[in-house]
Amino acid sequence: MKKYILILSLLILASCSQVGDLQDDPNRATQVSPDLLLTNIETSAFNNVSLNAALASRQLTYTDGTDSYQYYNWQRAGFDNYDILKQVQKMIQESKRTETEVYQILAKFFNAYFTVELTRVFGDVPFTEAVQAEDGLYMPVYDSQESIYKSVLDSLKTASLELAQNDEAIRGDIIYNGDKTKWRKLINSYSLRVLMSLSKKTNNSNLEVVTRFNEIVNNPTQYPIFESNTDNAALVYVDIQDNRYPLFNSNSLQTAYYMEQSFVERLQNLEDPRLFAFADKKPNASAAAVTDFTAYGGLYGSAPLSDNGAKAVSGEASRIKPRYYNDPINEPSLLMGYPELQFTLAEAAARGWITTATDSYYKTGIAASMNFYGITDTADYLANPKVQLQNPADIATILAQKHIALFLNTGWQIFYDQRRTGFPEFNVDGGGILNNGLIPKRFMYPQNETVNNPENLNDAITRQFPEGDNINGVMWLIN
Amino acid sequence: MKKILPLLIVLLSFAGFAQQQVSGTVKDPNGVPLGGVTVMVPDTSRGTVTDFDGKFSIEVTSGEVLQFSYIGFTKQNVTITNQTNLEILLSENAESLNTVVVTALGIKKEVKALGYAVQEVEGTTLEKAKEPNFINQLSGRVAGLNIKNSTDLFQNPTIQLRGATPLLVIDGIPDRTLDIWKVNSDDIETISVLKGATASALYGSVGRNGAIMITTKRGKEGKLSVSVNNSTLFQTDFIRVPDVQTTYGNGNRGVYAYKNGSGSGTEGGGWIWGPRLDQADPTTASGFFETTQYNSPIDPASGELLSIPYISRGKDNIKNFFETGLVQSNNVSVSWGNDKADVRMSISNNYQKGIVPNTDLKNTSFNIAGTIRPSDNLTINGTLTYNKQFTSNFPEVGYGPTNYLYNLILWTGTDVDVRDLKNYWRPGQEGIQQQHFNISYYNNPYFQAYEYLRGYNKTNVYGNASFNYDITEGLSLKGRTGINEYSLYRDYKEPKSYIGYGSKSRGNFSIAQTEYFDITSDMGLHYEKKLSDNFGLTAEVAYVNYYRNSKNTSQSTDGLNVPGFYNLANNAGATLFGSNREEKETINSFYGFVDLEFYNAFYLSLTGRNDKVSTLPDGNNSFFYPSASASIVLSSLFDLPDWVSFAKLRGSWSRVSEGKIGDDPYNYILAYEKGTTWNGTPSTYFGSNLLSPNLKPETSDTWEVGANFRIFQNRLGVDLAYYQARDYNNLIYSPISDASGYNSILLNGNQFKRKGIEITLDATPIKTENFKWTAQVNLSHYRRYQEEIYGDREHTEGYIRVGDRTDKIYYSVYQTNADGQVIFENGLPVSDPYDRFLGYDEPDLTYGISNTLNFKNLSLSFLLDGRLGGLMYSTTNQKMWWGGTSKGTVNQFREDAVNGENTYVGEGVVVTGGSVSYDVNGTITEDTRTYAPNDVAVNYISFMQTTSNYQNKNYHFYKESFIKLREVTLTYQFKDSFLKRTPFNALDVSLVGRNLWLASKISNVDPDSGVDNLQAPATRNIGFNINAKF
Repeated sequence: MKKYILILSLLILASCSQVGDLQDDPNRATQVSPDLLLTNIETSAFNNVSLNAALASRQLTYTDGTDSYQYYNWQRAGFDNYDILKQVQKMIQESKRTETEVYQILAKFFNAYFTVELTRVFGDVPFTEAVQAEDGLYMPVYDSQESIYKSVLDSLKTASLELAQNDEAIRGDIIYNGDKTKWRKLINSYSLRVLMSLSKKTNNSNLEVVTRFNEIVNNPTQYPIFESNTDNAALVYVDIQDNRYPLFNSNSLQTAYYMEQSFVERLQNLEDPRLFAFADKKPNASAAAVTDFTAYGGLYGSAPLSDNGAKAVSGEASRIKPRYYNDPINEPSLLMGYPELQFTLAEAAARGWITTATDSYYKTGIAASMNFYGITDTADYLANPKVQLQNPADIATILAQKHIALFLNTGWQIFYDQRRTGFPEFNVDGGGILNNGLIPKRFMYPQNETVNNPENLNDAITRQFPEGDNINGVMWLIN
Repeated sequence: MKKILPLLIVLLSFAGFAQQQVSGTVKDPNGVPLGGVTVMVPDTSRGTVTDFDGKFSIEVTSGEVLQFSYIGFTKQNVTITNQTNLEILLSENAESLNTVVVTALGIKKEVKALGYAVQEVEGTTLEKAKEPNFINQLSGRVAGLNIKNSTDLFQNPTIQLRGATPLLVIDGIPDRTLDIWKVNSDDIETISVLKGATASALYGSVGRNGAIMITTKRGKEGKLSVSVNNSTLFQTDFIRVPDVQTTYGNGNRGVYAYKNGSGSGTEGGGWIWGPRLDQADPTTASGFFETTQYNSPIDPASGELLSIPYISRGKDNIKNFFETGLVQSNNVSVSWGNDKADVRMSISNNYQKGIVPNTDLKNTSFNIAGTIRPSDNLTINGTLTYNKQFTSNFPEVGYGPTNYLYNLILWTGTDVDVRDLKNYWRPGQEGIQQQHFNISYYNNPYFQAYEYLRGYNKTNVYGNASFNYDITEGLSLKGRTGINEYSLYRDYKEPKSYIGYGSKSRGNFSIAQTEYFDITSDMGLHYEKKLSDNFGLTAEVAYVNYYRNSKNTSQSTDGLNVPGFYNLANNAGATLFGSNREEKETINSFYGFVDLEFYNAFYLSLTGRNDKVSTLPDGNNSFFYPSASASIVLSSLFDLPDWVSFAKLRGSWSRVSEGKIGDDPYNYILAYEKGTTWNGTPSTYFGSNLLSPNLKPETSDTWEVGANFRIFQNRLGVDLAYYQARDYNNLIYSPISDASGYNSILLNGNQFKRKGIEITLDATPIKTENFKWTAQVNLSHYRRYQEEIYGDREHTEGYIRVGDRTDKIYYSVYQTNADGQVIFENGLPVSDPYDRFLGYDEPDLTYGISNTLNFKNLSLSFLLDGRLGGLMYSTTNQKMWWGGTSKGTVNQFREDAVNGENTYVGEGVVVTGGSVSYDVNGTITEDTRTYAPNDVAVNYISFMQTTSNYQNKNYHFYKESFIKLREVTLTYQFKDSFLKRTPFNALDVSLVGRNLWLASKISNVDPDSGVDNLQAPATRNIGFNINAKF
């Protein structure tokens, strides 16, 4: 009997396992090569198609409820970009570990880009102490916008110069496939965008906005910039799951969104053929020719929802062109495009920052934008008297064209350009407008900062907005 | 020959004595036959057990004594002289009533010795009124166990014991997969609920939240017995279903004209804010308002759609679409045993047909349990169960176009008759495009039922083998190994043109497979000795090892080439998408306990356990925790008045630690996650949680006191329990500033206090020879408080402060003035940028009341249960106000809005001057605002589309209170006199009903599940049960 008991006992004990043998995760890697992070960062940075931005920028309207972007009573935005800044930091760490430089240089650009994406939304944000949780810093202080912009401009310049010197290969690059010249063009073109966003700060001796602008424009060998649409910082969509145009198959885009009336009217007034690339004919004119400008209509951004809804169901409003929801590839998403650069240069010329003729930049920008939408015959349009600049300092007309060129593209860029310049005018005179008829100047800080970083947040709010955190507060950048 | 010889000798030797055959019946004081009574001749090996009719038969020598014993009854000795037929009446033993319960690790203990709360449910309770799983049947039956039943097919209920999910233990082996579908209720002997951490401390970290212990049936000594149980319930109608308006149809702003199903323009964007239905219009041929609809005929001349009458044809869409559901259960079991071995085999088949066409669930089990006793000192047990859960389609749940109610009534006006949708392909586009009135947002319910198929095929094998070997008197060696293994194969067939949330499918096929294995082995020494009449000792030490290994793989297509051909090879995309995952974990433990007993009145139990886990970093992964419990039986110590039958006080304290962070055993490791692959270029990203370098296990300290009194000859009993638990060193994802690069850091922090009270009342108000009424009431109340917040914060991200209940609900609301009036701007309420307090989530009281009335052979039992207090958010109600289907939207304002008039003035104020400032927490620091009543009239439809009527409906948080008539069973037990003429030993038939009636504060949904994310309608189940024994 005893030997059976022994066998039974051994059988039970034989099945036992040791703790130490099972302490490695077979599902995740603890070290990776930096290019794997670069790909992820690029998909975040370049994938920026935003319907909310199109609503706030009076390009589209929404009819399934009173939308806070369209009626200007939005409240808070989030700090999600800090998570991407952490991915950039991880890319730097892995780049150092693998003893490669080039990803650290690109990291300078991405750090600058995502920091600007944050600060222009809120005002002061954490910067010098940001993304240091791994060193135990959980409540970073908020830096002044001025110091952030200074640092951003400096590191963009460094990135451009270092990249010119670097001879390593960039792998995992889904934007430029490792073409460093194109990267330098992007970095410098982007620097010009940042400098133009500081157009109210030309007197600031710390920043030397105009000098820096000229430094780039006047030295194309050292600081190359975009030369055509082929240089565009573009994410090209492909017909593969998770790689498709983000609005592909969107139900609400085809039922609840309509073109904005003032935008449609501007295109009609200019006899701009890009209207046919943006909009579908209104249902009541479905039999008309595509090129019949009168076949298009829109809903007025600030009109009451009931008026817009009634107009939509009566068939008098155009939807967006079906390609935006039917075509999985549609058009690339732009971090920054050649047309935008040309309008930035045109504005610099109009402001007298540079001496080149405004008109040539302006016309090149329009033609490049039309080319982007597949319109090759641009001569008639460029000759149209309504398209011409009123004078070399006609910033309003330049911005109106920029607004068209950035239709549902390049993220929130056109909204911030309008905030800075006031052009083109966004209607707030309709009966449905909220926020007392004001266009918000910013977003409130994220609610979780009030819990997780209250003291630093409080300092930042009191020094910038004595009346409290609110959407109409005017930050340093646009003051 | 060698074998036959001894047998002959035995037979001959028996013949030498005056043996006589004695038979008889054993009954309880009410005359009810008692089965399972042990009948034996003391100091011999002769004995038997009464059958189900209380009958026995045994060979006895004249002059010998027959002893009758049965748990809960006083032993009775009868000296045999020349009787051949005995009628034995056993009397109930007050002190030992319900005397033994199953506790942790399957150890049976006397109730009076317990220092903690245990409540048992007999398997017979679950026999008649069946549910698809046994857990649903426990609703209202155990104080402190809160079952929140789902109305959806094949969905787990929420199981909470004292506010946390308990461990499921089957025959002593923990089932960490908590698969409540794999245990057939006909195989359950008893369910023992160990309520506190002390009760289940011996299970270690997994037992931290108490345990539901299932003991399955085993073979009984006695002749071969066959038992058949059939239960059939029909889901005939609904006790709760969304009640929608039928006055207005599809469309927006009173306009509707179908063009092509895109939903845009005159189709009204998918809203149910369309024109009035059944509107008289003398100008049309039909006499009703007419418009183009999806089923309009086409004018052969122009090719245009023709207008047809816009009438409420779909008033009965619910009745017309849903079918009668069926819950059927069949079980056949065979049991046999003698003094050397016993065995029980059981086959069960459960079939559930859903109320949605083409949905069902098949659940089949085969179970065998056996014991052999090769010698007096060795017992070997084995149990093995094979279980298969299979369906080729069951409904998807949750709000969205995958939900049947979403498509059937929430987002379909009654101008559409569901019966017209049975031909669900668009003519000429079969396999490519479904036919529906709106093909951008919604699915044709029949298309969904017959083409969007979700299969589930799970095979469970689980069981255990154990032995017990008595080394010397009192000392025994025991060992046990139990396994849980399953393989799960799921497939998802998505037809072309299927509408998901936000997108239209190009057809897809996905498969997902899981292989799971775990094994728990323990081995130990057990010592049990009655050292004197007044002192008893039981002690045990053991080693336990637990190991788990699970592997998941999944693959899916990126669109399909051939419509309706579901195979990965039919992928339309460039590559298949797949992932896999493997997890392994182990725990090595030692445990021991000592139970002491003095003077049959004082009981003390001490336990200790040490776990070493693989789920925490080395160095912090081994930890010890103890428990102690005691009880005093007052009725044994003192001379209490006659009317006190039993009185006991108890108390316990325990500490239990847990060293696992969530479900993933590798959560204590920081690593990269797989990101999106862009056109063949892979990517990774780093997660948003950081880890503290020094993670420790989290710990709960619990103390509990209780009392148990039985009075008036056991006619009334009460059991009280009060407990407090302190949860500390909690492994929490403590939020940090997003600007730090991470959202949170995993660390040991925060402290919570849980406390609660449980009351169980048992009563037998009436007891006569022919009539007996017994009742049980279960009540419980539970609260959880924040005791500490990590990092000395003022409040948590959910605005909970130290000392607050943790179930406070803060929600995004509208701004109000000091008088609580909502502030409006331009006719619309203004949102508050800060979340505000709305109420509490948890109920104040959970209750269950069961009654059984026995009259002769007839018995009637019914169970009422429910909850009082607490708030729940209702997605269904919110969407009904938003979309236009709520009955409350049928009013003059809506009629005005349909006619293009803006007449709705929201109740509230407008700001006429002044300003307001807030501090960083949203507290108002200065407020000089002045107000006037809101007088801006807006369009009622716009207002509802923007606000969902949040302002007037408490933001769609509703009181959760309800009472439900959970179960009614009427059973007739056939008389022996009748059964004698049949092959049956016992036979009863029952009429049963489940979920018969519901009363609640909330409308349109059943609050039972505690959440509403557009649940299926709650059905009323009515049927019968037949139980026969041969």
